Amino acid sequence: MKGAIEVRGLVREFKGGIKAVSGIDLDVPAGQIYGFLGPNGAGKSTTVHMLTTLLPPTAGSARVGGFDIVKEGPAVRRTIGAALQEAALDPLLTGREHLKLQLALHGVRRTERGGRTDELLERVGLRLAADRKIGGYSGGMKRRLDLALALAHRPRILFLDEPTTGLDPQSRSALWDEVVRLKRDEGVTVFLTTQYLEEADVLADRVGIIDHGRIVAEGTPASLKAEIGRPTVEAMPGEGTTQRELEGILARFGELQPSTSGIAVRLDGQGGLTEVVRALDAAQANVAALHLHSPTLDDVFLAKTGRSLEGSEEPAEPEA
Amino acid sequence: MRTLTVARAVGWRMLHNNFTTPSLLIPGLAFPLFFFIAFAGGLSRVNDVPGFDFPAGYTAFQFVFVLLQSAAFAGVFTGFGIVRDFETGFARRLMLAAPNRVGILLGYALGAIGRWALTAFILTVVALLAGMEVGGSGVDIFALYALAVLVNFVGLLWSAGVAMRLRTLQAAPLMQLPIFLALFFAPVFVPVELLADWLETIARLNPVTLLLEAGRSLIAGAPERVGIAFTAVFALIAGFFLWAVRGLRKAEAAGG
Ligand SMILES: Nc1ncnc2c1ncn2[C@@H]1O[C@H](COP(=O)(O)OP(=O)(O)OP(=O)(O)O)[C@@H](O)[C@H]1O
Ligand SMILES: [Mg+2]
Repeated sequence: MKGAIEVRGLVREFKGGIKAVSGIDLDVPAGQIYGFLGPNGAGKSTTVHMLTTLLPPTAGSARVGGFDIVKEGPAVRRTIGAALQEAALDPLLTGREHLKLQLALHGVRRTERGGRTDELLERVGLRLAADRKIGGYSGGMKRRLDLALALAHRPRILFLDEPTTGLDPQSRSALWDEVVRLKRDEGVTVFLTTQYLEEADVLADRVGIIDHGRIVAEGTPASLKAEIGRPTVEAMPGEGTTQRELEGILARFGELQPSTSGIAVRLDGQGGLTEVVRALDAAQANVAALHLHSPTLDDVFLAKTGRSLEGSEEPAEPEA
Repeated sequence: MRTLTVARAVGWRMLHNNFTTPSLLIPGLAFPLFFFIAFAGGLSRVNDVPGFDFPAGYTAFQFVFVLLQSAAFAGVFTGFGIVRDFETGFARRLMLAAPNRVGILLGYALGAIGRWALTAFILTVVALLAGMEVGGSGVDIFALYALAVLVNFVGLLWSAGVAMRLRTLQAAPLMQLPIFLALFFAPVFVPVELLADWLETIARLNPVTLLLEAGRSLIAGAPERVGIAFTAVFALIAGFFLWAVRGLRKAEAAGG
């Protein structure tokens, strides 16, 4: 099947010369979940705004659902649903009124609106709060309503901008389930931005890592981790063994890595964990703890940018 | 037509908010009534002023002013609602759902008319209870209300243009200012002939004068320069429609 999202050289510059997105390319095949991963200010939301026709690009082009985002905006909007980072809600309306309005905006017939509204409220767990004004909703409830609104007209392509930021663990896993269900049962293509490595790892078929407006790595989570390759072994010295002695032994197996509690080394292929254990034994070194870390997407980010993804910028602003 | 579907949905929501939120509803009703009672009642002695020869009397004279003023301000106040939508981010939802975004603008206009309709109704009832004389025929009165609806549209288009350019509630004074000025330099309390010379000169150039005089001639049943007044208001609508649509394009370019 054709690509659901095709992006070529997309650029967005804001006043004052800030290049929020500086020339990205990406392809999302229909029916896949694409994880767009990056730290604060990387350009994730700006990309989403361009792809959802909310913001015109400065340069480059993109097709969503086969339609050009600049020349065929109305067709793109018909095809997509979007839950933006800041929930787009009216404090004077109830949850149910939001859904009815959304369905009306999308031209769904009046007779079908009631049933569909109930169905969506049920699906996001807002049935009991449906007739309260959303001014009194919690942050998580607003996000869930926003998701229901994005799904109202059964879009083929769904954009979710940091959908789990500010959700409690329970709501987060419920949202993950829903995203997976949409893909599996309805064949929806999902473009999901996140700052959480775990989220991209669990959900995404493919991951794009964006930093300072550029895609620094792209592929399946497995292939990205494989590219970084080797796992890291971390050892904590036990009684009678010094850090220096451990370092001498481990350094034979690869490049030393920063570690807060012991000595860490990224295995370079000279041997696996077994060889490390044998070498420690042969040297009669006493080890208090020994860990094998598989590479994570954070390692990928670190390798590509020299910075750690988590906590690489100032902390995210609290959700409104 | 999806554009009309969007307009209807947006209009419904503006009315829903207006009629379920007292802080939005009450001022829109109270101010025109207050003006009408204060001016028509408090200044009724103007009837005796030499040179005041309006056939339908001072109550009708003031009624036309308050009717047109309330129409204009119902349009302007709807502009506050537009700004609020940009501030809450709700405008993005509309932008994402509307195939043709001019439908959003038309929806706001529907909201403005609906909100004014109730005011106009109550104002009319109060005026009739106060013994307002109506000299005009059914057609004349229809034309008067039609004129007011068009003025409402002008007010909405003006304030929508400002709202979509600035997208902050700090734009509120700017939305009201030109309307206040236009009303200030118009024969609000007395006929234009009785204004001070300098004010009369300005008032004669002010299109609001034309609208007021045409409206008053309609209620008196002696239509005068009504064609020109309608032409003028349609010209204003054309101009401010462009202003509002270009404002919409600016909001689109800024990303809502
Ligand atoms: N309207 C705007 N005007 C000027 N600069 C902007 C605007 N919107 C975003 N930016 C800048 O563009 C860059 C990218 O912002 P963007 O919101 O796309 O990041 P993000 O990856 O979504 O970050 P976060 O994780 O914090 O949501 C930032 O430096 C931001 O300050
Ligand atoms: Mg963002």
